[in-house]
Amino acid sequence: MKARNNLYNKQRIVIKIGTSSLTFSNGKLNFQRIEKLVKVLYEVQSAGKQVILVSSGAVAVGSGRLGLEKKPENVVDKQAMAALGQAELIRIYQKFFDEHSQLVAQVLITKDAITLSDRRKTAKDALLAIIGMHVIPIINENDTVATEEIEFGDNDTLSAYVADLVDADLLVLLSDIDGLFSADPRKDPDARIIHEVYDITPEVEALASGKGSSFSTGGMATKISAAKICMESGIDMVIANSVNPAVIHDILRGEEVGTLFSFGAFTEMKA
Amino acid sequence: MIKAVFRIEIATLLGEDNLIDLRKVGRLAMLCTQIINAGHKVIIVSSGAIVLGSVRQGLSVLPGSHTAKQAAAAVGMAELIRVYQQAFDEFKQLVAQVLLINDDFVVPKRRSNATNTLNKLMQHNIIPVINENDSVSLEDIVLGDNYPLALHVAQLTGAQMIVVKTGQEGQYIILNGMTGRVTESDEEGVIQATEMYKEGEGSLPADRMKYPGNVNDFMTENQA
Repeated sequence: MKARNNLYNKQRIVIKIGTSSLTFSNGKLNFQRIEKLVKVLYEVQSAGKQVILVSSGAVAVGSGRLGLEKKPENVVDKQAMAALGQAELIRIYQKFFDEHSQLVAQVLITKDAITLSDRRKTAKDALLAIIGMHVIPIINENDTVATEEIEFGDNDTLSAYVADLVDADLLVLLSDIDGLFSADPRKDPDARIIHEVYDITPEVEALASGKGSSFSTGGMATKISAAKICMESGIDMVIANSVNPAVIHDILRGEEVGTLFSFGAFTEMKA
Repeated sequence: MIKAVFRIEIATLLGEDNLIDLRKVGRLAMLCTQIINAGHKVIIVSSGAIVLGSVRQGLSVLPGSHTAKQAAAAVGMAELIRVYQQAFDEFKQLVAQVLLINDDFVVPKRRSNATNTLNKLMQHNIIPVINENDSVSLEDIVLGDNYPLALHVAQLTGAQMIVVKTGQEGQYIILNGMTGRVTESDEEGVIQATEMYKEGEGSLPADRMKYPGNVNDFMTENQA
């Protein structure tokens, strides 16, 4: 529980929200959810912390705008819907953040912007400048132009890379699951949530199988990949359910919600 | 069917108070939608992220440092696409946001990727609004000698025409990709110019498209 008590002190926080948290299963936007999320992010930011949002949802929003029944399969359709949806998504965030007079910035990145050393510095400087101005960056993969060589593939991984890039203290992954379970809770009634993980053991990896809804690309596997990146960088990570975005406050109060991946002990051991 | 690239300098959409003049954006949106409704395709290449971001941040002068420009661009990029969406919503016209960097033009696979995305959007009669992805990269998209973004986009998509909005309300400059001619025109003239290229009426195949002589000079001299 000591690791939980420490969450109160986290200053620079990356929060990732998945497509399934922003939309209904038919791909239409869950405006109430977004409004609540925005309010919580604003409150956290106002409390003197620095907030960086990584938001999925562009492809689903674009598909919804065009009236498609389900998410497109092929790459070109997906990219076109990302371009359409990204415009809409950032407008919606602006609308809700405007109600709190909170400025946001839009940052669309591809993997090379973070992995190539000269461009990495450029991206880092830009993000630090943005948060230094008390503006909340809203980051997404630039799906419109990302080819497989330069794509993160999923925003769980992207958000971990971002957390590492900006030297964040905490990464929060919000999705439609409560956390890491001892078994698949949709199939096994005895499945119970694991509240704390201190090392990515083969057993932990084995728990992370399966996928999410038809509109989301992530699953537990990508969250464990993100946890590994956080482990390398000594960044704590929490997986929690987005059904009530105020869970972010609970996490920061040190309450036992979701699954905390804490590697403080691990990094101490290395040192 | 023709493809027309509209090149919009943000200054041409500002009012005297240096804020976005929604009436001006509205006129532009109506013109572009008119052309699409007539069966043509439109792409917008727009500047303005840094200017709009600076205004939004309450800066009195444009940022000087590389990093401050990037930050302003990130704020302004969100604002820019919102302005376009609001204006185009009035006419039930969808717009999409496409942010490009130099690599998207010079790396073959990324080039074809960008082309495919733009063509797909136009196929759905969605207007791509293209801007440089300034928040992660401030290298200008410049190929060869000072060859600006609108020309790149026109070549990438095989557009027959570039329409440049001027500072004078309702006035445009048409760059005819097939004749290499540059003409000044009002809104009516822009619509007529697009109507001149009906299927099979003297249009050249895309691979023979050239922006020779004075068109290129014009674009280079009139860069932001």
